[in-house]
Amino acid sequence: MKPLILLAALASVVLAASYDKKGVAVATDKLYVKECGSCHFAYQPGLLPSNSWQKMMSNLENHFGSDASLAKEDFDYISKYLNKNSAEKFMNYKRSSRVVNSLREGEIPDSISKTPYMIEKHKDIRENLITQEEVKGIFNCTACHTTVQKGIYSERDIMIPNYGRWED
Amino acid sequence: MKLILTLFLFLNISSASVVDEYLNTLAKEAKIENPSFSGFDLKRGEEIFTSKHIGKKGKEVSCVSCHGDDLSKASKNYFTAKEIEPLSPKANPKRFSEVKTIEKWLRRNFNDVYNREGTIQEKGDVVTYIINK
Repeated sequence: MKPLILLAALASVVLAASYDKKGVAVATDKLYVKECGSCHFAYQPGLLPSNSWQKMMSNLENHFGSDASLAKEDFDYISKYLNKNSAEKFMNYKRSSRVVNSLREGEIPDSISKTPYMIEKHKDIRENLITQEEVKGIFNCTACHTTVQKGIYSERDIMIPNYGRWED
Repeated sequence: MKLILTLFLFLNISSASVVDEYLNTLAKEAKIENPSFSGFDLKRGEEIFTSKHIGKKGKEVSCVSCHGDDLSKASKNYFTAKEIEPLSPKANPKRFSEVKTIEKWLRRNFNDVYNREGTIQEKGDVVTYIINK
C-alpha cells in the first residue's frame, strides 16, 4: 500500500510540475519571422516537434501548395532554429507539452493544425466560422487568437470574426 | 540637416541602383540567350502581372490576386489573408532593394502563378512594370 501512495504522490507532483508556463515560447528570431512570417503568421516553433519541422522544411518547394523555397544559407539557419526550439524541448510550456503528448507513437504531423491536440481544441467551431473570408482556415491563428504574438492562446483571448468571444 | 538630406538621397539612389543593376544583369543575360533581344517592356510586364493562370494550387490566380490592383497600397495574401505591404518601390522603399530578395520572390511567385519559373525576358519585363507602376 505504502509504495502505491508514494507513487500516486510522485505522479501528482510530476503532473503539476510538467509545465510551469502557459502558452508557448515566443518566436523571436528575426530571420525566421521575416522569412516565414511574410506569407502567414510566424508560428511559434514550440507548436510542433522537431521531426515535423524537419518534414516541412524538406519540401518547401511545395509548401501547402506554394513555393516557399529559401536560399541555402537561410534554409540551413531556419532549420537549425526550428530544431533548437521545437515543442519537445519546451515541455515546460503548456501548449508545447499538450501538442507533444497528444501525438501517437511515431506520428509526425504535417502541420500544427493536424496535431490531435489542435484538432480536438477546434472541433466544436462551426465550419463556416473557420472558412469565412476573415479566417480562411484553422492555420490562421491570428484571426481569432488576439494574443498570439505573446504566445498566448487562452480561451478568454479568443475573438472570432462575425461571431464574437468564444465560450466553450 | 544637410547630412541627413545627403544620406537620404544616397539611400534612395542606392535602392534604385540595386534594381537598375539587376535589370542590367538580366539584360546582358537576355542578350546572350537571344541575340535579337531588344530590351524589357512595361506593357508585356503588365500582361504578365495581371493575366490569370491555373497556379500551383490548381486555382486560377494572377499576381494581382495577392498584390492587388493598386501597387501603392497594402494587400492580402489570397490564400492566407496575411497582409502584404505595398509592392511599389515608390510607395514602399524597402521593395527591390536587395537582389537576393527580388530573385527569391520572382522564383516563388512565378512558380505559384505560372507553375514554372520565369524566363529572363519575363522577369525583366515584370520587374520593369512593377518599379514603374
